[in-house]
Amino acid sequence: MVAGLVQILLFQGLGELISKLLLPTLPGPVIGLVILLIWLIVRKEISPALLLVSNGFSQYFGLLFVPAATGVVLFLPQIKAHAWAIILALVGSVVLTIIASALALKLMTKEELINSERLSNE
Amino acid sequence: MNERHSIVEIWVYLSGSPLLALLITLAAYQLGLFLYQQSKQNALVNPVAIAVILVASFIQLIEMPYSTYFEGAQFIHFLLGSATVSLAIPIYRGLSSLHQRWGPLLISLMIGGLTSILSAVGIAKLFGADQTIIGALFPKSVTAPIAMGIAERIGVSPTLTAIFAVLTGILGAILAPSILNLLGMKNWWQRGFTIGIAAHGIGTSRAFSVNQEAGAYASLAMGLHGIIGAILIPILYHLMNR
Repeated sequence: MVAGLVQILLFQGLGELISKLLLPTLPGPVIGLVILLIWLIVRKEISPALLLVSNGFSQYFGLLFVPAATGVVLFLPQIKAHAWAIILALVGSVVLTIIASALALKLMTKEELINSERLSNE
Repeated sequence: MNERHSIVEIWVYLSGSPLLALLITLAAYQLGLFLYQQSKQNALVNPVAIAVILVASFIQLIEMPYSTYFEGAQFIHFLLGSATVSLAIPIYRGLSSLHQRWGPLLISLMIGGLTSILSAVGIAKLFGADQTIIGALFPKSVTAPIAMGIAERIGVSPTLTAIFAVLTGILGAILAPSILNLLGMKNWWQRGFTIGIAAHGIGTSRAFSVNQEAGAYASLAMGLHGIIGAILIPILYHLMNR
């Protein structure tokens, strides 16, 4: 567990460093993510310690944004004043996003689907 | 009198130390998880939403300023960055199931991501939302930890972004199955990838609970959307807010 955490913190630190010095528009952790991803692709395996930490994080991911999200108390008047705009924007946007990406995927992979259906019928 | 005095002392000590903030955050989330499992993992009974409502009500009840609460809870908040880095592992695993599908996946991801931003911002503007809210809508379709990182960089509220991201995940997880059925999407990998684009973490855990392949593609979509979003959303934001 500790070994995995050390690796994660190292990649995070590296990401923060690169973000500070070279790529100020990208958040440090995202750069850390990309470097770790490249590292995994090069090594072609995930160490058990890293896997343990990643499983731990993924299980309790939601917990980690509770402190920031609780800041909603500071925005309550604003949210109440624009409640309808927010609700319609969120619902409309998620519905349109699902439709747009699903249709794009469907149109572009039509041929592959026909092929795979033919395969599964044979 | 004396006893009462010592209770006050304990209270003063507690509310000044990180202990109380940590305790209420963890306990509220624990209760949220419990209710979520009791509801047979109904997407509406979201543990994060429950925890936020409980913690927010509690700190308002005891009149604890949010800044004091956050000072204590920042130890949990700090781990968000580390958790973001650890997203590389599910993305790496999803990569192995890609087969030759790179092109279509990336294009539909770009189309989905762009649709999500333009429609949310467009609708919010149409109904007269103010700039704080519109700004926070830009990163909301990306997984919450990355969305908050983007929000900080483009100078909008990470709190509002986190709230919008969580709500988007809940809505997407609830609405996606029926929309995908209406569109006649039958392949698990397509359904998973679409849910990952539109409803990030909450949609992904839902996809995993239905089908393993759908889950793998959903987490791949969520991760790629996060990375690409972190690069392109700031550019789009500055283009649209010049």
